[in-house]
Amino acid sequence: MIGNKNNFKKVAMIAAIGAATTFASMSAFSATHPKTGEELAADQSYTYRLPDGIPSLDPQLVEGVESSIIVRDLFEGLLNQDDLGNNIPGVATSFDLSADKKTYTFHLRKSIWSNGDPVTAHDFVYSWRRAVDPKTASPYSWYMEMMSLKNGAAITKDGMDSKELGVKAIDDYTFEVTLDAPLPYFPSMVTHTTTFPSHQATVEKFGKDWTRPKNIVGNGAYILTNWTLKEKNVRERNTKYWDNANTILNKVTALVINDENQALIRFKAGDLDKTEIPAGQYPAMNKSNPGEAFSFPRLCNYYYTFNLSESGPEAFKDVRVRKALSYALDRNVIVKNVLKGGQFPAYTFTPAATAGFEVPEVAYATWTQKERDAKAVALLAEAGFSKSNPLKFDMIYNTDEAHKKIATVISQMWKQKLGVNAVLANQEWKTFLETRKKQDFELARGAWCGDYNEASTFLDLVTTQAGYNHGKWVNTEVDELMNAAKTSATPNVNYTRVEQIMADEMPVIPIYHYTGIYMIRDTLKGWPIKNVQQTIYSRTFYKTAK
Amino acid sequence: MFSFIIRRTFSSIPTILILILISFALMRLAPGSPFSSDRGLPPEVLANLEAKYGLNLPWFEQLYTYLKGIIFSFDFGPSFKYKDRSVNDILAQGFPVTLTYGLWSFFIAVAVGIPLGIAAAVRHNTKLDYLAVGFSIGAQVLPNFVMAPILVIIFTLWLNWLPGGGWNGGEWQYVIMPVIALSTSYMASIARITRSSMLEVLSANFIRTAKAKGLANSSIILNHALKPALLPVISYLGPAFVSMITGSVIIDIYFSTGGMGQFFVDAALNRDYSLLMGVTIVFGVMTILFNTIVDIAYAWLDPKIRL
Repeated sequence: MIGNKNNFKKVAMIAAIGAATTFASMSAFSATHPKTGEELAADQSYTYRLPDGIPSLDPQLVEGVESSIIVRDLFEGLLNQDDLGNNIPGVATSFDLSADKKTYTFHLRKSIWSNGDPVTAHDFVYSWRRAVDPKTASPYSWYMEMMSLKNGAAITKDGMDSKELGVKAIDDYTFEVTLDAPLPYFPSMVTHTTTFPSHQATVEKFGKDWTRPKNIVGNGAYILTNWTLKEKNVRERNTKYWDNANTILNKVTALVINDENQALIRFKAGDLDKTEIPAGQYPAMNKSNPGEAFSFPRLCNYYYTFNLSESGPEAFKDVRVRKALSYALDRNVIVKNVLKGGQFPAYTFTPAATAGFEVPEVAYATWTQKERDAKAVALLAEAGFSKSNPLKFDMIYNTDEAHKKIATVISQMWKQKLGVNAVLANQEWKTFLETRKKQDFELARGAWCGDYNEASTFLDLVTTQAGYNHGKWVNTEVDELMNAAKTSATPNVNYTRVEQIMADEMPVIPIYHYTGIYMIRDTLKGWPIKNVQQTIYSRTFYKTAK
Repeated sequence: MFSFIIRRTFSSIPTILILILISFALMRLAPGSPFSSDRGLPPEVLANLEAKYGLNLPWFEQLYTYLKGIIFSFDFGPSFKYKDRSVNDILAQGFPVTLTYGLWSFFIAVAVGIPLGIAAAVRHNTKLDYLAVGFSIGAQVLPNFVMAPILVIIFTLWLNWLPGGGWNGGEWQYVIMPVIALSTSYMASIARITRSSMLEVLSANFIRTAKAKGLANSSIILNHALKPALLPVISYLGPAFVSMITGSVIIDIYFSTGGMGQFFVDAALNRDYSLLMGVTIVFGVMTILFNTIVDIAYAWLDPKIRL
């Protein structure tokens, strides 16, 4: 992948000529990194694995982590994130907040689209209206509702004219947003791809085909040059990007490789610079490729939820049964012997990596597994279950090798320690979603990745009205605490209390908190491993010479 | 012969209609919707999406609009999952890929399989025969989902001769491994069928007569034995051809070809109704078409069938 010496000489020569001509090309071709002084590779291209085809690259229609990464390369919103997840200027260089905290005024830089048109406040007005318009039918219009934009909900729900949305172009470079209510984390929300600008003339000219390489107009650091569904996606340097002079990486290629073991072979063959490590293979990869296997905390949890609704089994309505099952589950075995990727055993719902969240001390987390097992046996006996009258239930998960392994291990633990008979069943994804949504289950797998970096993104899920509360657990104190947290100066107190209530009531069995487990080529630098949300901008990467 | 062709062609039309109706019904009966997701969409967002794709209409209206689109403008509608593409776009991308590696696989399977089978039969119970039989059995017990990763380990990881996946517009380096992985087991089956059928024919009375007449061995095999011996092979080739050119989800997954096989399976998993219908119809029509061709070929080879 890395160019041979002759190639390198050629590039160095071109670099010398480039340096003589313009400043911009000098920084693009210079052989050392301007800040770190590392020697740069001649071939500044980055290739990574995509697990599946990209459904859409239209900023207002895009969904999914992988698609968003590409959209962040092709388009740029008002604000970006740095490698720690802090907001930094994007198209907007700064913003002001009104005294009533309901009006944000963004000051935009003078930048241009890849076709040379200026990027203006009108582009943002157009795109934000487009995102809430029912005709667009954006699957993320709910996100715009969460942003509390004035009239946002009325437009999406009741078909009010999208021109009534609380956005305005004061002039070409001043974009004003009016909210229904103050929202302290509003600035972070505009780093999301749904709020990115789309080029109106292009959208109107080409319709759904506007995101094809031959038609697309973007304002990001890269332009799309190839997008073959389920094969690959290639983007190359956009020389018209405002910060082009500081972009080192020239080309980003995403290869669709469905099977993660196949992707690992391709990584070993040198075809990929980054791929995921399949469950259980981290230690082996760390040994064979030292310095290239990474494991870092992610904002995601993994749990099993009890069906506590009318349709759920009677046994689960007894908190002693729920606790017994949770206690007897040895999380360390799951993490250390099954997954082996540095995941964290979970006794709380919210991951410790969440910003500002301190993991509250819940009693059962401090016990030894032996103590937990003893308690579990006692509790289950108290609840009236024994060898002659064993507890029996079904547990479901969506079809996947790792889920299957975990479920098998869990059911064995229960069988051995408690004599419980858990019958496993896997379901294909969409069927699983439907089954869980209709409370047509007894015990079901659940997992959640935070939408934003704050504990409420997890704890809101267990409130009574939450759509994701599949177990239909109802606790009015939790509802009140979570509601109060929205306006509280010290929301963490509320979050701690909610976690304690959850440990007492055990509506779900937390199992582990995720880590991102990647193979990253040692010459690829700049991966934001400290950004728990993994907000990635390819232009911050660069390749060093071997 | 001509009336036979006409008869077969017309009788396939109701088959296609029934196929459309059954796939439409089965799809709607599957739990979940194209828009169901882990997160779960708020009802108003779901309603907007359903309105955009016409899912809020009664089923017969959906079916009518759908059929109208296909018959009058050859339009299979928009994909529910790939929002920037229509089903026609996806078929236009995936089908040539599948057709390319499918045709090459078919060609190679036939070009190697039939001669190998004949040679094994003619040299019955010799080393060549044992080799051919051994190869056939070996190739059949090695399924393509095992073979594909092995090929990549050998030719990409160890030897670094061939790209480990992708299609690149059908450049030859990208086509080789998919073709090997797909054709091998078909090749083995063809060789086995040819061999046993040839053996049977070679022991028939009319061959003995030909031998007694003192005809050259090559002439006996090519002019007398081959045609009857190929009948069972042809009945195998029809469906094999269709399953090769409609692609293989395994080949598409392991070699990231962007071909139709994977779209077919994923469309079902994603409940991408229009894409699934589009692929089903195209595959269905092709299956029927090639079965018809096989029937015609059969009728030509064996006049008894025309009756």
